[in-house]
Amino acid sequence: MRLKISINQVIEDMDLKGNPSEHRIVVAMSGGVDSSVTAALLVEAGFDVVGLTMQLYDYGQALQKKGACCAGSDINDARLVSNSLEIPHYVLNYENLFQEQVIEDFANSYLRGETPIPCVRCNQTVKFTDLFDRAKKLGASALATGHYIRRKTASGIPSLYKGIDTAKDQSYFLFATTKKQLDFLRFPLGSITKEETRFIAKKYNLKVADKPDSQDICFVPDGKYADVVRKLRPGSIDVGEIIDVEGKKLGQHNGIIDYTIGQRKGVGIGGRKGVDDKNALLYVIALDVQKNQVIVGSKDYLACRKIKITECNWIIEQPHHKEFKILAKLRNTSNPVEGKIKVNFETGISYLYFDEPQFGVSTGQAAVFYNIKDHAHILGGGWITSAPNMFDLKNTMNA
Amino acid sequence: MNRQIYLDYNATVPLLEKVKKSLIDSFDYGPLNASSVHYHGRKGKNLLENAKLNIAKLINTNSENIIFTGSATEAINLLLSNFNTIVVSSIEHLAVLSSSKSKLIVPVDKNGVVDLNYMETLLKNVSKNEKEILLSVMWVNNETGVIQPIREVVNIAKKFGCLVHCDAAQALGKIEINLNELDIDFLTLSGHKIGAPTGIGALINNNKFNLTPQILGGGQEKGMRAGTENIFGIRGFGEAALIMSEMPIINDKKVKCLRDYLINKIKKVRPETIFFGQKSNTVSNTILMALPDIPGDLALMKLDLASFSVSSGSACSSGKINKSHVVSAMGYDNLAFNSIRLSFPPNDTILESEGLITTEELDTLAECWFDL
Repeated sequence: MRLKISINQVIEDMDLKGNPSEHRIVVAMSGGVDSSVTAALLVEAGFDVVGLTMQLYDYGQALQKKGACCAGSDINDARLVSNSLEIPHYVLNYENLFQEQVIEDFANSYLRGETPIPCVRCNQTVKFTDLFDRAKKLGASALATGHYIRRKTASGIPSLYKGIDTAKDQSYFLFATTKKQLDFLRFPLGSITKEETRFIAKKYNLKVADKPDSQDICFVPDGKYADVVRKLRPGSIDVGEIIDVEGKKLGQHNGIIDYTIGQRKGVGIGGRKGVDDKNALLYVIALDVQKNQVIVGSKDYLACRKIKITECNWIIEQPHHKEFKILAKLRNTSNPVEGKIKVNFETGISYLYFDEPQFGVSTGQAAVFYNIKDHAHILGGGWITSAPNMFDLKNTMNA
Repeated sequence: MNRQIYLDYNATVPLLEKVKKSLIDSFDYGPLNASSVHYHGRKGKNLLENAKLNIAKLINTNSENIIFTGSATEAINLLLSNFNTIVVSSIEHLAVLSSSKSKLIVPVDKNGVVDLNYMETLLKNVSKNEKEILLSVMWVNNETGVIQPIREVVNIAKKFGCLVHCDAAQALGKIEINLNELDIDFLTLSGHKIGAPTGIGALINNNKFNLTPQILGGGQEKGMRAGTENIFGIRGFGEAALIMSEMPIINDKKVKCLRDYLINKIKKVRPETIFFGQKSNTVSNTILMALPDIPGDLALMKLDLASFSVSSGSACSSGKINKSHVVSAMGYDNLAFNSIRLSFPPNDTILESEGLITTEELDTLAECWFDL
């Protein structure tokens, strides 16, 4: 394999004046291959690299393994890689911060019937606030991460673009990056593909070269998020009814936290007799927190035309127009959709009107905005706080 | 600055040159399994017994009372596993606190000294119901360097028929330990705190109490600690003990000078710095300090990047720094995440063999402290 990226390119992408050796760069090292290669490239480029790893939760406790170390193997990997690169490496104890700012929020969000994205909260709080602050205090010129995302500057103003490797695009999780943060952040992997990253890791003989990518949420073992919420909020999750749109009881659930809007699999209701095929499939169309009910219905009920987005963050200069066309991503795994956004810069609240109705939009998720002409250009995003679907509208009208 | 200045001697003292030479020498002795009955075994046994004699001489006990272990922590675990009722001070090393799981805790005052009155009352109450009580109080605290009033501790304990364990890992090489003068039942020691290699510790069973071992197998260490003896560690420990026993009685003037110089410098540049335990009787090499708004891990990182190796709180194997239970116990819970420990060589002999730390270097350190 021939590398497309050269060390000169790495230096250029860093966008720092003077000799690399004059710049201390803090690399947020998770112990994975991406951040390890980030550090390796920066060392090769001659920067004064310091690795920092965040200890976010007690690994032993999370996995409920007796005698397991609090740190797990990732921190150890980060240290081993740092040792092999001969750079200083430190572990930051952010367990309390992470608990307060990410894990509690995660549990509360599920109890509100939402589907949270703790990774964004983590980026917003612990990673790009506390770690960021620490990097500055250590005299760093920049904080580099292993995200596949590009930072480009035009006349000194940085903007955020999807990475070259669109399959590894992580822009959905980075919409809350502020302009001020972007001044200090660098993403050396934005210009390469994952395949190249692995190749570079092998070239540098990094221990993590073949380490599998991390999946899901770091503090949720095996993706069993509901187990984590149950452990965090014992007694607050009750058995309740699964009903149809007419209010007819179809079954029982063990807690609304097990459901997400738009979910079809694992709803716990078998096929319905006498219903034609199209409507036989039942989706979760609403979660009634007050009544502790899961409401299921046919896909049509999920249709959503307009959403409310709060805490909007714009990574661009504020647009002149308060209404404009954008592309929006409503889930990390779904394709962006077109729509028109109405923006209020004072309140940070925006309304997004979809060109085509969307199905299974869930509150607690983010809406991330991209330039309608240049799909790679990330404009910003916010939290979906209201996504009324046909069922909700019907209910409102009835009321 | 082109060298990394080591100021973490309470964590470990580098292998002393003379110890190193003795080790290199013994690497050529051939096989040294001290439990073997043949010629080579006897040679190993001889090294082991000599080491015990040297250590016994240093602390004035009988060499038969020494049980070698893999560390002071192991020695503590071995000892504490023999008791159900253990009274501990709140500033004991985690080896004591974790292995005893004791809820019978004697607090310390703001200056880091055990509260003798509290201890007396507690022992009095506990001894009403319990026959066999072990009191565990460390001689010198590893974070503050505060010397505990061991004589008084022992006197009080004996009034109530308690057995006394003293963790002397931080006392060895810094102050005189004379077991002939004090009725301490058990003492635990660590080799690498006086310039022996890591991986060797000892339990001194001073009154030949009948103990049950934790590690079973062969009959090494009179059945108290099975497993082939770490003969090189033992040799090193013995040599280091010999060096310590040959030192002049007062042997901390230079160390003290450096410490006081640095304290004064720091007081000048950052008057808000809090120094812990300095109003007490302390060993001469330790400074524990904090700035109200600066987390200890930040201070540690900045000093490390500026070429000073210091320590903060208690680090777990991940490198994550936890808060200092010692600072908390002294009533400064708000500063428990902020403390930084600087520790100079334990005595002038080690200071000199290590190459002197210059006042210029300490000036630079003080500047770094100012810049925090």
